[in-house]
Amino acid sequence: MNVWVWGAGSSAFGKQPAESTASLVRLAVLEALRDAEVDQVDAVYVGTCFGEPGVAQRTLHRLGIAGLPITVLENACASSTHAFHEACAALEAGRHRQVLVVGVEHLTSRFTGALPVERRDHEGRAGLGLPALYAMSAAHYQDLFGLTDAELAAVSVKNHAHGVHNDRAQHRRAVTAEEVLASRMIADPLTLLQCCAISDGAAAVVVGDRRRGARDVPVLATAFGTGAAWGHDSPRVWGFDLVAQTAARAYQAAGVGIGDVDVLEVHDAFTIGEIVTLEALGMAPEGAGGRLALDGHTVLGGPQPVNPSGGLLSRGHPLGATGVAQIFEIVRQLRGQAGPRQVAGARIGLVETMGGGAGGVDGNACVVCLLGA
Amino acid sequence: MSGDRGLPPLPDSRPLIVPDSAGLALAGWRCRDCAAPLALDGPWCPRCRGPLDTERFPLRGTVWASTILRVPLPGRPAPTALAYVDLDGGPRLLGHLAGPPAERLRAGTRVRGAGLSEHGDPLFEAIPEEAR
Ligand SMILES: [Zn+2]
Repeated sequence: MNVWVWGAGSSAFGKQPAESTASLVRLAVLEALRDAEVDQVDAVYVGTCFGEPGVAQRTLHRLGIAGLPITVLENACASSTHAFHEACAALEAGRHRQVLVVGVEHLTSRFTGALPVERRDHEGRAGLGLPALYAMSAAHYQDLFGLTDAELAAVSVKNHAHGVHNDRAQHRRAVTAEEVLASRMIADPLTLLQCCAISDGAAAVVVGDRRRGARDVPVLATAFGTGAAWGHDSPRVWGFDLVAQTAARAYQAAGVGIGDVDVLEVHDAFTIGEIVTLEALGMAPEGAGGRLALDGHTVLGGPQPVNPSGGLLSRGHPLGATGVAQIFEIVRQLRGQAGPRQVAGARIGLVETMGGGAGGVDGNACVVCLLGA
Repeated sequence: MSGDRGLPPLPDSRPLIVPDSAGLALAGWRCRDCAAPLALDGPWCPRCRGPLDTERFPLRGTVWASTILRVPLPGRPAPTALAYVDLDGGPRLLGHLAGPPAERLRAGTRVRGAGLSEHGDPLFEAIPEEAR
């Protein structure tokens, strides 16, 4: 497609009760504008999950970004990846020349512990929390495919090791498999260190058309989908088919396959999420994804590093901010600016975000983006 | 949640569990054209748009997955034992496991209804080997 990422910015991620959504957005947007070497845009697309009416306008008017189209989107964890997708589509359609995309969330002012599923949802009403939803996928994999606790723990060990090198990450501490498995059980078989913590943060990118002599990162394709019905005749865990189908469309549009991808940022809200997602992206057959981290395939220095930023497990997961933060990381990687966590020679990067919580649906929404040469 | 003080309670969105000759049953629907079983109502079959007939699905089936949630949620003290159960010939239903939450049930475990929880959720228990 004829869309390039001109610049990217991000606040620090973590529990930041003293920061407001406005201050976080300001940090991310200022860095993205400076990085893009622009001070004005034609339109703004915002992703945020739990919402704050006017969240973008409240901040942006003070930066002189006002009186232009501002579109706010909610799609669970994929809210700001969806905003990125829509911004790219608007550029491709010729509606704008340069667009700001923002993701933001301030979870510590809304929740103190595990995120419940929306209480208006029939499964949320029945006592389902997001850790339990993912835990049942992990339990299903253990029962059917023999997924081991060690394989689950390896994802957490890997992503925490990566996050040590990310100065914006929430948890900059390496953990051992023994520590992961000995941490408090949250929802069997997932322990505390296999679950992302609640977090606050914002991220922003500027996307636009081709510029001469710039270090802009081409967007090869973005694909967006929402889940079909998930129930008695769904043999796969929830979200698998949605990610697989969305990825297939992105691969086809970009003319690349999983074998061409050098670095990935994927949705590891829980360890099992990364395993299922990588299978759905085609990196391993169904039921075999547990080997990828344990065997070193997805570790920094391995053939296809996954979540070099630390992922949601280490960087943190302020829902609406996550998607653009993933894009921020891939842009840094493809420009060779990732410092100690640089994936050597990375040319093609993949971003995947999938959010759920609507009972009976195979994932609320998924976005897969391919960026690079 | 504290912010809800003074607001009317939300309507109960859960599938309807009703008394049945053999205990409890899910009061659901089945599509007359494609035979899909449904736990939630709608104007037509969401898969093929066929007409729906009501159907009672006894609370008997097979565990698809289960877990023990060991952290509290608003209005729900921990721990709670949850399971997705594929009802025999019926839809996949989220329920709770009867008794004190101890261990999750493996996928494939045969289960039957064991009443309603204090929150009004369907409870399931493993069917003893000899009763299968
Ligand atoms: Zn039908």
